[in-house]
Amino acid sequence: MASPRDLRPTPTDGYSTATSFMQQDTEETLLAHLPQSLASGGVIASQNVPAVLQRNVHMQYLLRNLRQGFPQRYTGQDASQAWLMHWTFQAFSCLGVGMDGETKRKAREKILAMQHESGGFGGGPSQAPHLLATYAAVSALAVVGEPGPGGGWDEIDRQKMYEFFMSVKQSDGSFLVSHHGEVDVRGLYCLLAVATLLNLLTPELLQGVPEFIASCQTYEGGFGNASFPDWAFSTDGYDPAAPRPVLGEAHGGYTFCALASWVFLQPYLRIYYKSKPPSTADAPAAIDRIPPTINMRSLIRWLTHMQGTGIELGGFKGRTNKLVDGCYSWWVGGCFPLVDGLLGPGASAATHETETATKAEHAQASAEDNDWLDIDDALFNREALQEYVLFAGQHPAGGLRDKPPKHPDSYHTLYCLAGLSAAQHRVGPDHSRREALLQSWDADAARQKAVASGPPDSQERLDSLRRESFLDALCWLEDEGADKYVGGSANRVNATQPLFNLTITHTELMMKHFYQQNLPSRVPKAAATRP
Amino acid sequence: MSAEFEDVLLYAERPEWADVTPLPQYQGVDALAPINYSAEYQDATDYFRGIVKAGEKSPRVLALTWNIINMNPAHYSAWQYRYKTLLAMGADLEAELRLMDDFAVTNMKTYQVWHHRRLLLTALRSPAAAAAELAFTARVLAGDAKNYHTWSYRQWLLVHFNDDDEGGLWAGERAWVEELLEKDVRNNSAWHHRFLVVWASGVRRGDEDREAVGRTESAFAKDKIALAPNNPSAWNYLRGVLEHTKTPFATLTSFVELYIVSDAAEAPEVVDLDNPAPTEGAQLPCVHALEFLADVYEQEGGEQVAKAVEIWKSLANEHDTMRKKYWEYRIRDGLQGARA
Ligand SMILES: [Zn+2]
Repeated sequence: MASPRDLRPTPTDGYSTATSFMQQDTEETLLAHLPQSLASGGVIASQNVPAVLQRNVHMQYLLRNLRQGFPQRYTGQDASQAWLMHWTFQAFSCLGVGMDGETKRKAREKILAMQHESGGFGGGPSQAPHLLATYAAVSALAVVGEPGPGGGWDEIDRQKMYEFFMSVKQSDGSFLVSHHGEVDVRGLYCLLAVATLLNLLTPELLQGVPEFIASCQTYEGGFGNASFPDWAFSTDGYDPAAPRPVLGEAHGGYTFCALASWVFLQPYLRIYYKSKPPSTADAPAAIDRIPPTINMRSLIRWLTHMQGTGIELGGFKGRTNKLVDGCYSWWVGGCFPLVDGLLGPGASAATHETETATKAEHAQASAEDNDWLDIDDALFNREALQEYVLFAGQHPAGGLRDKPPKHPDSYHTLYCLAGLSAAQHRVGPDHSRREALLQSWDADAARQKAVASGPPDSQERLDSLRRESFLDALCWLEDEGADKYVGGSANRVNATQPLFNLTITHTELMMKHFYQQNLPSRVPKAAATRP
Repeated sequence: MSAEFEDVLLYAERPEWADVTPLPQYQGVDALAPINYSAEYQDATDYFRGIVKAGEKSPRVLALTWNIINMNPAHYSAWQYRYKTLLAMGADLEAELRLMDDFAVTNMKTYQVWHHRRLLLTALRSPAAAAAELAFTARVLAGDAKNYHTWSYRQWLLVHFNDDDEGGLWAGERAWVEELLEKDVRNNSAWHHRFLVVWASGVRRGDEDREAVGRTESAFAKDKIALAPNNPSAWNYLRGVLEHTKTPFATLTSFVELYIVSDAAEAPEVVDLDNPAPTEGAQLPCVHALEFLADVYEQEGGEQVAKAVEIWKSLANEHDTMRKKYWEYRIRDGLQGARA
């Protein structure tokens, strides 16, 4: 990248408004955080960029919270205690920090105390079960737990959790986050991530979900927080033909949740809907339903336009005409591997189909296709996003943040690091890995570990759903030849599996246990797929 | 915390609470990462856990949960239990709304504040109450024009009650959004709201002629673009209208061409109401206009794609270098489409 840095302010067209004033202030602040050598026309070259990830101070920040606890101002997070655990442990995973056995044991004890007797986890002990808390608790257990007594995993009451999930399901395919709680796509994402990790997926659970997700895409291309069907007040009955306007504008957080949900739903769409030939020869005939679609073109346009310009240091914003913020490094930055996964190999080839097939599926169809070349065909500016995290995201006293001069917190610490990871690595579905997992797939073992069986005549299809969900989730590998580190490889953070925001290893271990599979050993993607 | 809770006895010290067994938060011995709660918060939540366990639903539960949510408005379990208690007691839900008014303003960033109102409105089933809520959200948005929860709530009110009668809930909506866009034409939340009102929630009274509505909305967006061309919200709305009504982008070529010149002074002097010219201060060329024109060429296909490629190259290398990767992708994709 040899062109001089473009630091032009966002044009105001001689017509200032509240939005443009805030934008200008932010641009001034951010520009002041760009090292002088770069601001004065320097170019990015890893040798001379004073960009250092302060791993040690961030680790100390996280450890301090863990050992000394959180100060009183965190009382507002009393209902997010499971999240505080997830943010902290996954930030450790990003930084490559392991935990000793005693810390892990205490962590398991603390998290399991949040499990509710009627299923699912609450935000803290004795708090009502909640979809978001359930995801946070299960993710945290993925890092600190293991199989066997006291290991945390077998103490999860999956039967009751499934019943809790079904108890918050709505007739339009959405879910309440808790009893009497709100509907939004965050809750749905959390449910699908957990149900996929813990082998809880059934067609009953997923009924209507793709239609709901599709209805949450806005005219801008990103997703809003929920749709709401017109029928509620007039008839108190579900009318699928009624308009389902999306409430709330396109937003980075909701877009990540909706898009990841959409990826989770691909096996269900392949197996339980019409439209496409079965993905594998032995798959049962599909049901007579036309699958909903999402608009990939407008989604990609919206996602790429969330990246701020040079003067915003290439950070991401969460909505049109809002300010960049470190946490969207993940919520928007983390969407790109998901988009790549949906588009399939050689992203440019596939966008004329708005209809989406997974990369794995494409790979299946064209195994001999040598399209896995090591070119950086990422859709966003990976270097710039790393610069934002390194220059603006880091608080000098430890922890990461929205933007200067804000204080750091656990939430931004994780999502800045996860976003940095998404910019450093390329992680995507891998055909060879999928094949290897398929070879060792044991349907009986997975069926025995599942919670809901359904009627015998639907068993075959349910087996397929379980298998395809397992393969689709676990075939993601890091392309080790495609990594890029601004500031040099000393700044490397671990790659994350973008569907779960867990490491690939933690994802594998947990799914191996809950589907009772033997996993073939992993061969690095680069070695396995390059000629 | 508001002043009224200061110098009040802990629940543990009050005789009228002596019949409740407080339940401390179990988190294991020597817990990891505890939150250092204030004595008041710990005491109140201990009693809350006790109440939930006993299943009590009474006026004092309302006082207790009110106390807790004042200390922590994100305590969704306290909100949930409060709502169940209100229903069980057959409480006056309008009074509950009034109690929550100031609270909502102070804590407008909290999900639960708005969701609670939604539950109350659902239970009330009263269009009159909904109308009052529209006024309330307008007041809140006057102070924080992009508050996501408030906008979602307002949109829910409209869609849920769906009162399209003369003078009904929807009647003033478009005029009100226009007012907000007068104040800040870059307020994307207001643009989204306009899209919901005009397009996404079915056909409103008086809007039956969809072609006419399309023309009006497209003219509205063009005027706003003329005012401040580098405003992605207005361009996104314009694109949304065209896509929703399946109108080819090419119908706006002569408008867009006014915005790709490098100097506003180059624009023609002739006043053309269909194609409002950029204002004097406009910083041109406008990247959104360049992008739009490339889309026009791509849609036209064939020979025209080469022109789109030229524009994408200029965006990648000059006008919008941060999105270089995206524009390169558009070039690959556009050429692929042209070959196919
Ligand atoms: Zn943030």
